[in-house]
Amino acid sequence: MRQAILFIILLVLLPVSVALQDLLPGIPPAQERLLLLPVVFVFGVIALPMVPALWFALLTALVHGLLLLQVQSGQSEMGLTLPVVFFLGWAILLQMASEATHGMRWELHAIGSALVTLTLLSSEFLVLCIKRGGFPLDFAVLLKIAVPSAAAVLLAPLLYLPLRSLVPFATASDASQLPKKPGFGL
Amino acid sequence: MKKLQITALVVLVVAVVAFCMLEAGSLLHLQSGFLGILSPITRSGSAVKSGIGSLGKDLMTLDQLQSEYQRVLAENRRLRAENNGLRDLQKDNDHLREILGYRERSSFRLVPATVLGHDAGAWWSTIKINKGSKDGIAPDMPVITDRGLVGKTTAVSANLSEVLLVTDENCKVAAKVEGTREQGICAGTRGNGGELQMTFLSKLADLQPGQKVYTAGVSGGIFPSGISLGTVKSFHARELDGEAVLEPVADPGSLEEVFVITGAK
Repeated sequence: MRQAILFIILLVLLPVSVALQDLLPGIPPAQERLLLLPVVFVFGVIALPMVPALWFALLTALVHGLLLLQVQSGQSEMGLTLPVVFFLGWAILLQMASEATHGMRWELHAIGSALVTLTLLSSEFLVLCIKRGGFPLDFAVLLKIAVPSAAAVLLAPLLYLPLRSLVPFATASDASQLPKKPGFGL
Repeated sequence: MKKLQITALVVLVVAVVAFCMLEAGSLLHLQSGFLGILSPITRSGSAVKSGIGSLGKDLMTLDQLQSEYQRVLAENRRLRAENNGLRDLQKDNDHLREILGYRERSSFRLVPATVLGHDAGAWWSTIKINKGSKDGIAPDMPVITDRGLVGKTTAVSANLSEVLLVTDENCKVAAKVEGTREQGICAGTRGNGGELQMTFLSKLADLQPGQKVYTAGVSGGIFPSGISLGTVKSFHARELDGEAVLEPVADPGSLEEVFVITGAK
C-alpha cells in the first residue's frame, strides 16, 4: 500500500518538479538553471522495485523529452529516443547500486542525482554538437553542466528526507537492520 | 505476481519502442497535450511566485501614493497630448501616402501575455507564456516587447504557449543594420551568454558599436520588417564573411510582459 502511495506521489512530483524548476530563479552570475527532475527521478528509481522503477524511468523520459522538444523544419532535434534510453539505462544502473548498498541511502540519492544531471546535460550537449555541428566547449558551457550537477547534491536531501518514511525498506535507522529491497528477481 | 510483473515488462518494452518511433508531428501533438497538463501547475506556481515577490514591494505610505498619483496623472496628460498630435500626423501621413499611391502600412494585432517561467533546460532558451490557442495564438508567431523582438511561439496548448527566444541558437532571424545596406542572419549561441551573433555580413562592412539592428522581414519569413533586435557590440571579418556580436534589446532574464503578433490589423 505504501509503495502504491509512493508511486502516485512520485508521478505527481514529475510535472510539479518541471513546473517548479521553470519558476526558480537562475543561479548567479550566469543565471544557470536548477534541474529538479533528475533529483525526483533518482529518488524514484532507488525507492521503487525494478519493474515500477523502469515504468517510472519511462515516464520521466517522456516528461523530459516533451519538455525539450524543438521541431525545426519538420524534424525534431532530440526526439524521445535519447531520453528514453538515457533514463532507462540509469534506472537499471541505480537499481544495481541500490541493491549493492542495501536499498535506500541518502548518499546514493545525492551522488546519483549529481551524476544523472551531469550525464544528462553532457549527452544533450553532445547530441546537439552532432546535429548542429561544431563543438563550442567553452567556460560558459562547462558552467551550464557543472552548476546544476553540483546543485543537485544539495537539493537531493530536501526531497529525500520528507519522502523517506514512505519507502517500506528504508524505515530502519541502521543499514544492517534494513529489510532486503525487492530487486531484479521477478 | 510473477505473471503480472512479466506482463508489465512486456508492455513497457512495447511502449518504449512505440515512443521511440514517434514522428515529429505526433510528438508536437503529444507536447501540446503535455503543456495542457502542465498549464494549471505552472499558472498556480507563477501566481504564488509573483504573490511572494510583490509582498511588501507594493506597500506605500499615503504621501508616496499621492505623489505617484500626481506623477501618473501628469504622464497621462502628456501622453494624451502627444497622442492627439500623432493622430494629426497619422492623418497627414495617410493623405500623403494616398497621393503617392503607397499602400497603407498595416500595424500589428497584438495579444498581451504574461511570462510564466523560463525553461530550465541548459541548451534551449525558451519561456512559457499564459496565452494559447484559445487566444488566437498558433506556432511560429512573432513575440515582441515594447523594446523589440523576443522570439517566436513554438508549442501551443489551449492556455499556455512556449516561446523560443532570439537568444537561442535555433531562432534564426534575417536582420539589417541601421544606416547601412548590410544584411545578415541573427541567432543566439549554444553556450547562450545572452548575446546574439549576426553572420553572413560583408567582410568589408563598416559597423560601429552602438549601431541598431532591425529585422529585415524577408518574404516567406515569420518576422515582420523593422522590429528592433539589438545593438552592435563588436564586428570582425572572418575568412568568407563578417560577423557581429549584438546586445539583444530584450533581456531574456527580465521578461515579464510580452506581446504576440497574431496578424496585421
